[in-house]
Amino acid sequence: MGDAIISVEELSKAFGQHEVLRKIDFNVEPGEIICIVGSSGSGKSTLLRCINKLETQTSGKIRYHGKEIGAVQKEINDYRSKVGMVFQSFNLFNNMTVLQNCMLCTRKVLHLSKEEAFDRAITHLKQVGMAPFINANPTQLSGGQKQRVAIARSLCMNPEVLLFDEPTSALDPEMVGEVLNVMKELATTGLTMIIVTHEMAFARDVSTRTIFMDQGYIVEDAPPAELFKNPKNARTREFLSRYLAG
Amino acid sequence: MLGFSITDPSNSLEWMIFLAKKYSGMFLEGTWLTLYIAVAGTILGFLLGYIIGIIQDIRINEGDSILKKGIFKILKAICRIYVEVFRDTPMIVQAMVLYYGIRQANVNITPLFAGVMVTVLNTGAYMAETVRAGIGSIDMGQREGAWAMGMSPMKTMIYVVLPQAFKNIIPEMANTFLTNLKMTSVLNVIAVQELFMAAKTVGGNYYKYFESYLVIAVIYFVLCFVFNRLFTFLEKKMKKTENYALAVEYMENP
Repeated sequence: MGDAIISVEELSKAFGQHEVLRKIDFNVEPGEIICIVGSSGSGKSTLLRCINKLETQTSGKIRYHGKEIGAVQKEINDYRSKVGMVFQSFNLFNNMTVLQNCMLCTRKVLHLSKEEAFDRAITHLKQVGMAPFINANPTQLSGGQKQRVAIARSLCMNPEVLLFDEPTSALDPEMVGEVLNVMKELATTGLTMIIVTHEMAFARDVSTRTIFMDQGYIVEDAPPAELFKNPKNARTREFLSRYLAG
Repeated sequence: MLGFSITDPSNSLEWMIFLAKKYSGMFLEGTWLTLYIAVAGTILGFLLGYIIGIIQDIRINEGDSILKKGIFKILKAICRIYVEVFRDTPMIVQAMVLYYGIRQANVNITPLFAGVMVTVLNTGAYMAETVRAGIGSIDMGQREGAWAMGMSPMKTMIYVVLPQAFKNIIPEMANTFLTNLKMTSVLNVIAVQELFMAAKTVGGNYYKYFESYLVIAVIYFVLCFVFNRLFTFLEKKMKKTENYALAVEYMENP
């Protein structure tokens, strides 16, 4: 497993007495599309936030290409610039236009020239079909549009891995499709992705590996064909039957 | 009766006009000083408040060196004490203590300089709290969005949080300025020749205190009224959301 991009080793996280993650272990290999599913409160989002260092783990390690990511801010910043994150609540900068949103971090973190940053922004905004909206403010967009801009913004950093934290959970049902389509297209480009989602059909069709989490544990970690057809664990079966029946 | 040459004023209104005309130079100079102290004190105080507010918001990272942690802890402690002291004592007392304290230390300080300094320090303490609240009013997601792409906390503060916090606290900043405009009146205790001092002097000359203070009441009112309208106008202008133009050159099906 020497060529893993990210390795999570015995990761635990507790908020006070409440244990959210218990000794999580898994590797992320280049090109993998990992969907993490599970009921609310199972620790999926916390795991993703730990991977991006937005939460500090209670114990355990996160390695990036074998190098442990510690608590030094500079190291964390460098690491984050290569591991993008898309949030449930979009988190577009409200004081900036769509274009500025997509150029800020490439300018200030990667120190690209204005022209380069602009070209990248336009390229990725075109990719998600939001290029005509470069002059709009985030408040003037629909949820689906916001999320597409947020995805483009993350892509501008040319990340090695892109984390999605329930990207469609805050959207109207009609808008879920447009975001999932963008993500499906991304999947074909070979980008490594970790996606926390409640969209079971998406997980089944797009992921190369599906992880089922329950009560802070990874219960099952298998290719989707296996996990969705023949779940080994009783808890997985129960969870999936409830979702896939509906 | 309201002619321009009242030489023998007989009622309060005539006295007001008489005093205002006779001592117009003094009142004008007082107005000018009041404005000067309020504007300079407020602007510098805002700067101070922003710096303190940002320092108070810094989270000490466990990965930082011991030296860095120590410096931040001391800085934060100093800021906390400063804010507490200046919010918990009256400005008029601060003016006396600072002015006479500095004089006693054999540093020659003009009343005007001391007046501006007191206003700055006082405003800074209140603004620090306002800025802190303003920063707190910005959704955590705004920061996380920037952090997740590798922006440092300081850059995130400067480019993402502060511009939004600034917009939210504009009404409070306008409020602080108006308060300062009026609070300069207490600086007469350290002999700053501002409006209140002018009224006191003029009133003393004729034993016409009511009329004299009424003159400056009108001046204060007009100043505040004008600034109030100005701020309301600016606020409205900033709130206006403009329609955006679609960038048709990037439309897929033009």
